[in-house]
Amino acid sequence: MYIFELMFITFLKLQWKSFFRGESVGTNVMTKIFKWFWIAYFSFLTPLIGLITFKVLKEDFEVEDPFLFLNKNLIYVFTYWIVIRYFIQPVPNVSIKPLLLTPILKKKIVRDTLGNSIFSFFNIVAFFYLIPLGLDLIKEGYNMNQLIGWSLAIIAFVYITNYLNFLLNNNDKLLYTIGATLFSIKLLEYYSIFDFTVYSGSFFYSFYANPVYSILPWLFLVWIYFYVFKFFKNGLYIDTGLKKKADEAKIDDFSWLDRFGKTSIFLKNDLRLIKRSKRARSTVFAGVFFLFYGFIFYFQDDIWGPVMTFFGYLFASGGFLFMFGSFVPSWDSQYYPLMMTQNIEYKEYIKSKWSLVVIGTIISTVLACFIYSFLGTDAVFAVLAGGLYNMGINGYLTLWAGAYTKTHVDLDSSKMVFGGRKAINMKTILISLPQMALPLLLFWIGYNYYSILIGCLIVGLTGVVGILLKDLVFKLIIRAYKSEKYSTLKAYKKT
Amino acid sequence: MITLKNITKKYSKETVLDITSLDIPSGQTFGLVGNNGAGKTTMFSCLLDLIKPSTGRVINNGVDVMESEGWKSFTAAFLDDTFLIGYLMPEEYFYFIGELRGLKKKEVDEFVNQFEDFFHGEILGGKKYLRDLSKGNQKKAGVVAALIGEPKVVILDEPFANLDPSTQIRLKQIIKDLSKNKETTVLVSSHDIQDVTEVCERIVLLEKGKMIKDIVTSPKTLKELESYFKGELL
Repeated sequence: MYIFELMFITFLKLQWKSFFRGESVGTNVMTKIFKWFWIAYFSFLTPLIGLITFKVLKEDFEVEDPFLFLNKNLIYVFTYWIVIRYFIQPVPNVSIKPLLLTPILKKKIVRDTLGNSIFSFFNIVAFFYLIPLGLDLIKEGYNMNQLIGWSLAIIAFVYITNYLNFLLNNNDKLLYTIGATLFSIKLLEYYSIFDFTVYSGSFFYSFYANPVYSILPWLFLVWIYFYVFKFFKNGLYIDTGLKKKADEAKIDDFSWLDRFGKTSIFLKNDLRLIKRSKRARSTVFAGVFFLFYGFIFYFQDDIWGPVMTFFGYLFASGGFLFMFGSFVPSWDSQYYPLMMTQNIEYKEYIKSKWSLVVIGTIISTVLACFIYSFLGTDAVFAVLAGGLYNMGINGYLTLWAGAYTKTHVDLDSSKMVFGGRKAINMKTILISLPQMALPLLLFWIGYNYYSILIGCLIVGLTGVVGILLKDLVFKLIIRAYKSEKYSTLKAYKKT
Repeated sequence: MITLKNITKKYSKETVLDITSLDIPSGQTFGLVGNNGAGKTTMFSCLLDLIKPSTGRVINNGVDVMESEGWKSFTAAFLDDTFLIGYLMPEEYFYFIGELRGLKKKEVDEFVNQFEDFFHGEILGGKKYLRDLSKGNQKKAGVVAALIGEPKVVILDEPFANLDPSTQIRLKQIIKDLSKNKETTVLVSSHDIQDVTEVCERIVLLEKGKMIKDIVTSPKTLKELESYFKGELL
């Protein structure tokens, strides 16, 4: 056993060195702190949600039988969970390669990899939810023993999704199939053609009705564990499981963009980037979730007040800007020396990046207008004002911050969209904080002294003024990019 | 003409590059040799304004590279894979570079097709992105991209490394052809003294950032360089 302890210590030492000898210890520490902050936040929030689920469903949403309702919707919860895992939960893959030539048994490598995932946050959080929920349900008169059986079944399903994720890894098609199937099920349900959840609901409810059935998902879990184990062990060769998958390439012409002149040269590449780099694609995908940000505050308008509701609308159109835009020019980090030696004027380069961000914001704004049109004209005005502000002010701020955000983006690493130093790190979010504070202040001034509409008007007009000052602002941004050129090149080189 | 004046590069106390004066006349095929850490890539990076020298100036055909970006319109380079855009197909990459240098798609096609031999059928018309090509094939694409648009100055760092023997021979021919018209200045670095003596008219030997030798290539050059590097060993 001694040898393993020794290995463990060596491993810890390596981790320590990689952490403190990295390029940006400061960022590392900040990211770690924020990561733990989020984990603590969710560990607090999740049990709370578990406690109030029943009450909120019953009283606020007037659901007759919340437990039945819960069971009906579990199918969506689990699918959503799979998608989240796919994008966020890292599957160790490349890190295994150097271990192959060490005297560690392959069995052990696989067992450890699969074993470690048991304690992943994505699994533990289920316990945080289920225990308070169970306690609350007992209070509401549900049978304890039956509930224990039901919970055990749910936990088995959580771990089944955990191991499914290993199989799903790098298989976009399978993910999209799951997504599309679920979407069609939801559509059929929405138009009351066929309600699949009636069946899935009674399926999950059966674990409560007959707790003995819970053994079945556990048996399935054991089977899938061994399946994944075998799958992984057989894949431990650099030409099979550990090989990077190469996509078949197809030329994308995009010559319709040529009418935009020199700007289009870069725009074309950025579109290809989004299409072909999983990292970029996932980032854009993550930005889509921002569209629904407005609802969070809308439904709690009486708690947060109109200013925070406005904040939600502002965020709704900013998904692309905050997610993708914050990594300009880092998206070009892998070939920045090329960009710096080609016959490119900084102005064209910055302009094309700005255009991309603006196009993304326009699309988001239009979509958000459509989504929030159900909430009345005030909401649409707020979304429009937020969109204009995002285009006219935040676009510049993001580009400007980009000159100083020297994060190397590894376009080929498919995982780690969130979390980790290389991903949408907390630094990005910190930069975006002042971008949020100013419009809120402007809105508050207008709203406080006049009305919500005037508040929107002030924010929107500020955005328009920003757009008009384009050339002047570009000059300032270009100056920042030029003065940071050498250190940016250096930082990008050191991954 | 490219002129380096009092170029030094220091990292804390270590001097990695120290060139008092170096003139490279237009049309010359210039070779840079030296062991690892001799400062070859650093010198090229300074020429391309990718690294800011601690002191000194680089004048590329009348343009001070640190003051103006004017040199970019007539200079092209391929130093390493950071000059490749991994998610593009080779064709798209060539078009991109061509567009930046004011060429139309058709002109790029015509130019690139000359190198069919060099590509050995592994670059054009394939179904791979640059990121999925082998190191050698990536280098082929990068070198050819650097030649698009008839730049007056071409800088290639270690162009022969990672290439198979037939491709090496073809690349030497390409470089020789470039220098034939006496309009293109070609700067090449290499670890392989034989390759450099074969293609370059003039060879500069760097050692710890300093110019040790500056030779006009003659039949004796290879021997001279060999004995120098042997001496290093002894």
